[in-house]
Amino acid sequence: MNTVNRIFIPMVLIGLITAGIIWACGENPAILAEAFSNTFFSPFGLGYTIYYATPLIFTGLSVALCFHAGLFNIGAEGQLLWGSIAIVAVSHHFSQLPVFLAIPLGIILAALAGALWGLIPGYLKAYRGSHEVVVTILLNFIATTWVGYLILYPLKNPNTQSAETEIISSTYFIPKFSNAFSWFGTELFRTTPANLSFFIALFCALLAHLILYRSALGYEWRAMGTNFTAARFAGIRTRTQTLCLFVISGAFAGLVGVNEVMGSEHKVIEGFSPGYGFSGIAVALVAENNPLGIIASAFLFGGLQTFARELEFLSDNISKDISIVLQAILLIFIACRPWLAKRLLKQRGESHD
Amino acid sequence: MIDFINSTLRFATPLIFASMGGLLCERAGIATICIEGIILVSAFTSAAFDYYSSSPWLSLGAALLVGGVFMLLHAFLTVRVKSDPIISAITVNLLASGMTPLLMKLLFSNSTNTPSLPQENRFLPVFIPFLSSFPIIRHFSNHLSLVYLAILLPFVIQITLTNTRWGLRLIAAGDGPEALVTSGVSLNHTRFVALFLGGCLMAFSGSYLAIGHSSQFIRDMSAGRGFIALAAIIIGKWQPIPTLVACVFFGFTDALQIELQSSEMLNLILPAQFIQSLPYVISLVVLVFAMGRAKPPLAIGQTSR
Repeated sequence: MNTVNRIFIPMVLIGLITAGIIWACGENPAILAEAFSNTFFSPFGLGYTIYYATPLIFTGLSVALCFHAGLFNIGAEGQLLWGSIAIVAVSHHFSQLPVFLAIPLGIILAALAGALWGLIPGYLKAYRGSHEVVVTILLNFIATTWVGYLILYPLKNPNTQSAETEIISSTYFIPKFSNAFSWFGTELFRTTPANLSFFIALFCALLAHLILYRSALGYEWRAMGTNFTAARFAGIRTRTQTLCLFVISGAFAGLVGVNEVMGSEHKVIEGFSPGYGFSGIAVALVAENNPLGIIASAFLFGGLQTFARELEFLSDNISKDISIVLQAILLIFIACRPWLAKRLLKQRGESHD
Repeated sequence: MIDFINSTLRFATPLIFASMGGLLCERAGIATICIEGIILVSAFTSAAFDYYSSSPWLSLGAALLVGGVFMLLHAFLTVRVKSDPIISAITVNLLASGMTPLLMKLLFSNSTNTPSLPQENRFLPVFIPFLSSFPIIRHFSNHLSLVYLAILLPFVIQITLTNTRWGLRLIAAGDGPEALVTSGVSLNHTRFVALFLGGCLMAFSGSYLAIGHSSQFIRDMSAGRGFIALAAIIIGKWQPIPTLVACVFFGFTDALQIELQSSEMLNLILPAQFIQSLPYVISLVVLVFAMGRAKPPLAIGQTSR
């Protein structure tokens, strides 16, 4: 019932609001139904939803882990850029590696690059008491310009005018669903970029769940989030743990590059992320920071992204940025829910008197 | 040199408006990470309104209203609904960054920028005859009226905060909410008013960017200024005059960045992207080293009760 409440009611609400927006944009609300069925009842739509959900699981985990300890990691956007460019860099230098070495190396370096960029706010928060929100946001801007330099100069694809890197060596490719299951005579999710890195995301969610709820480390993090002062007096090394959290969060965010670079595009295109880092915050909030819930909530937001894409395709003057607006509306709704519930209860109580 | 100082003032202006607006909200005890979003919506509002009305001052008015209303959303979520101020602010930022391209596509069939406005529909430099009679100051007397306003604003806010009943109540809302409630003043009302006015001040910044500094709205044109303004507030320890100094310093780094980009010699050694990132890097470094002694308003960071 609770899950129904959490996922279903917002969905209906979002549907109604979207219909309103579409009507206000002077389009026929009937395209809503078409976009909806294209998104959720076609293999094409589902493939795209998986493709969008994968990075959202990574960034959702990245944000949620920090949330558990009462910390805000708004820096996933910058961390995922470093993760992505790291893969291109390693392929640039070690293009001849065999597959069984290349793929693990790519994954590890993507995580490592994200972790290193997470180390900066972690250190500044833990040892200098800096405001982690402002620091991570400033680091996002720095990452955008510096990675932009790497895309445009050292790793530029010389054969094209557009701002993108060279194509990585094919040993680093992670197979798409359509190829991976071709032995069974089926091309699953044909022509979509959905790829097997989705399973890495599932594995990470499971890992995060185990660390959080089945290990001493996770216990200490949650203790920090519940009562920071008490946690410190109980002997938890809060500074080390803060640093550690930001590093692990950064690593999760860095893995977004695996889906984007090794799985689908095979290169880094400037500005490829439609704000995965920020959407991660919404994903984590909807799932109430539960790693396994994040999988479901990432699917919700991934679906929203696909849906917005369909809407842009079917209409003349709706842009796919509508998904960001819908995310914000969803967040407002979630924020208001306890308040609304209280008001409703109050009203009902008064009518009984 | 004189050009450089003038350029510094021009870049500092949006930061001053934004940080003064943010300062009001933060002093009232509500963390305000959403300056960036308010700048975006107000910049878009003034550019779009100016396109239809051809009057910069009317568009400024419209932008102030929209900026204030968006801050009311933040006020509603934090004060009334009592949700976490950082999450609420992120929501406002998301809404702003999604809504502006959506409306742009709807109104102008283009989701990256609004049509360029003719010179006469923008804010024009105001020549102050009194100032121009002095020998050195006369070189600085040819700015947009908003620039002069921005330099005066921190002093006005300083006086308002320390010498008026409203200002003292606002500070109390941030430093001792219980005391304010005990003295019979509505905490919620004080905070709502502070956030609305703060939003209006931030909107000056957006309007200046869209129809003063440039002639159109470009997607995500605020480019992190909201966060740099926030850094300025923290560095200025939530005091108007030190915050003004921090803003002028960041305006200086912005001017320096533009200056360095045009020098060809440096471009050979250092790529343009690194020079572009200079304002963010400097903000970060100053923020990190200025912290430690800063003391935010007491109630900030707590969810309101």
